Amino acid sequence: MMAEAAASTWKHWTEPSFVDVDGLSSAYRRKGDGDVLLYLHGAGLTRAWLPLYDELSHGFDVVVPEHPGFGDTALPDWLTGIDDLVLHYDALLDALGLEHVHLVGHSLGGWIASYLAIFYPHRFDSLTLITPLGLRVPDAPMTDPFRLSPELALNTLLGEQSANYLEYFDRGDETEAMIHAYAESITFARLLWNPRYDVKLDRRLTRIQTPTLVLAAEDDRLIPSAHPKRWAELIPGSELRVVAGTRDEPTGHLVIIQQPEALAELIGSHVHASVAPSSGAETAAR
Amino acid sequence: MSELEFYLFNFGSYPAVPHVDDTERRSLYIDLPNEFYDPIRGQWYLDSYFDTLIFGEKLGFDGICTTTQMGGPIGMTPSSMLPAAYLAARTERIRIVALGPILNTYLSPMRAAEDIALLDNMSGGRLTVGLPMGHGQNWHAAGGMNPAYARQRHWEAHDLMVKAFTEPGPFEWQGEYFHVPYANLWPRPIQKPYPPVWIPAAGSRITFERCARHHYTYQTLFSPRKAMLRNIKSFREVTRQFGYEADPKQVAAVLFIHVAETDAQARLEAEPHLRWVFQNMVRANQYDAFPPGHFSPESLRGFLKGGGYRDRDIGDLTYEELVDEGWALIGSPETVSEQLQGLADELGAGRVVHIADNGAMPNWMVRKSLTLMAEQVIPRFRAPGARPVWAIEDPRPAPTHSQLGAHMGEHPASAVPEVVMPDGERVDLTTAHVAGARDSLPAAP
Repeated sequence: MMAEAAASTWKHWTEPSFVDVDGLSSAYRRKGDGDVLLYLHGAGLTRAWLPLYDELSHGFDVVVPEHPGFGDTALPDWLTGIDDLVLHYDALLDALGLEHVHLVGHSLGGWIASYLAIFYPHRFDSLTLITPLGLRVPDAPMTDPFRLSPELALNTLLGEQSANYLEYFDRGDETEAMIHAYAESITFARLLWNPRYDVKLDRRLTRIQTPTLVLAAEDDRLIPSAHPKRWAELIPGSELRVVAGTRDEPTGHLVIIQQPEALAELIGSHVHASVAPSSGAETAAR
Repeated sequence: MSELEFYLFNFGSYPAVPHVDDTERRSLYIDLPNEFYDPIRGQWYLDSYFDTLIFGEKLGFDGICTTTQMGGPIGMTPSSMLPAAYLAARTERIRIVALGPILNTYLSPMRAAEDIALLDNMSGGRLTVGLPMGHGQNWHAAGGMNPAYARQRHWEAHDLMVKAFTEPGPFEWQGEYFHVPYANLWPRPIQKPYPPVWIPAAGSRITFERCARHHYTYQTLFSPRKAMLRNIKSFREVTRQFGYEADPKQVAAVLFIHVAETDAQARLEAEPHLRWVFQNMVRANQYDAFPPGHFSPESLRGFLKGGGYRDRDIGDLTYEELVDEGWALIGSPETVSEQLQGLADELGAGRVVHIADNGAMPNWMVRKSLTLMAEQVIPRFRAPGARPVWAIEDPRPAPTHSQLGAHMGEHPASAVPEVVMPDGERVDLTTAHVAGARDSLPAAP
């Protein structure tokens, strides 16, 4: 995304591939064998191949694209709303020649993923939403994501043990990293500055037919736990699971870097249950 | 000495608030509970603020300024336009500089154009209007406007306003951000083609280009001399690309100024106030000053790498730094005149925006300083006689009935008011009440 391509040397960096999606050169990373799993990231932690992706790649062909305006995918003028991203990802799957995929979305990626399942109900074989954002839940607003100092951001996303995860935030040159994060925040603001929720979701989520797992954290300080609970209530037949942390460290909004193995296992089980001939266990349970 | 125009500017802060060090986010923007606001005190702080500005006319300033400050105690004027209307009514000839309506806070730019045109009429053609983007902190108070689209929306709003000012209405505007099926400006502004515009700005490329293209006045933000100089230089370069050399009047430098009998006395008076305003009022967290899209990533890079950014908290500046870096001119009339001359030469600025209340000085102290400024500093920067611009030429095109009469004689109206009377005759309304003058007009086709 940034013009000056200094060497990217931080810990979880891997070289992305690029695919042309209706004229937009879109960065993505892909690894593994098996059914294709499309993972949509949240509003940060881009330009990295995270351990969670690697865990998932043991059972799946994992595709992790970077949203327009995030990572190494440029911000196009046309991106002004969530619908633009939904069209973009339909086109990206076409461009990669992928017909059916399993869909996983974290945070902002969860919002996008839910819309993909709403508008393209036949394209996705399963849906997993990890600490998704986008709902308006009375009396439980999201923490203002646009007013976080670096210190406050760490605490909000990871709680008291955030110092253990600093390597995930290193993006080389500090000034360039700050500018890059600022550029990503512009994309995020285009989608979610005001309102900070999507009132249409309440009605639309009830149309999802894809088997859905909603994963919550124990102590999500960005998106209160009332949110995943509400997501699960609205999506027919969905299952809600809380990803467990440790005694000293409850899981937080960035459960994806705190508990990658447990998370990969939960996603794997859900996917397999969704495609098994006698699937519908979750549905039956309700 | 070079000639300068002087514009009086004050914060109009509400000072009875906790020190930022005692607030959760170390900032008084956005979050300070309004339970600290006492309406009785507040009314009197506002009264003082207005009194000082009104006094500016008698002092002989060239103009008086109002600003837009929202969501906190830094300034009690959430619209620059309302105070400007009040000042227009309380003064006669001095220029009223509304710095300015933040276009993004308007649902439609036509509302802003209407306010500007109305205020120009109310002031008799004395209005100058500033068109700031608003500072970053405003975005949290400005009713949900999205900073990510701020710049494009701002300039589309500007273009629509200019078209409404300069082209016949009604016309239809089909833009990215606004669709106005019937843009039809009533009233139209007195000044032609429209009131002069100042652009208060940090100095992004697009802002300079717009400012230069329209021959607007570039107004610096209050900043150290080094930053002002860099921005003014860039602005001048851009005007050259548009094929002209910027007139000194196209550059307005914003300065804290305090004058007292001696240098020592001036410091005694000004230092605590300057420290207070820097420690409290202008201190903003980076995430509030830079909401997403308020700057482009390229501008941010220029800012972070070009020396415009200071790692040190603005509230930690010492008095010596404030003075040495050229934020503030403080001293005897002699000292302030010398510093002002040096600065004007260096910046090539022909206009000075004089911040006199330095945050929240009491009215009496501000008046003492301003009287010394007006009597002992300003005359040195004016032609003999030291008349302000509005005393050299009345800015009002027709302030008296006799001038109105002359105007009407020279410019017959393009329509006369007509009324149909009971006998079916259409008569000229202006003479309809006079027996014998109630002449029938030609029947309508």
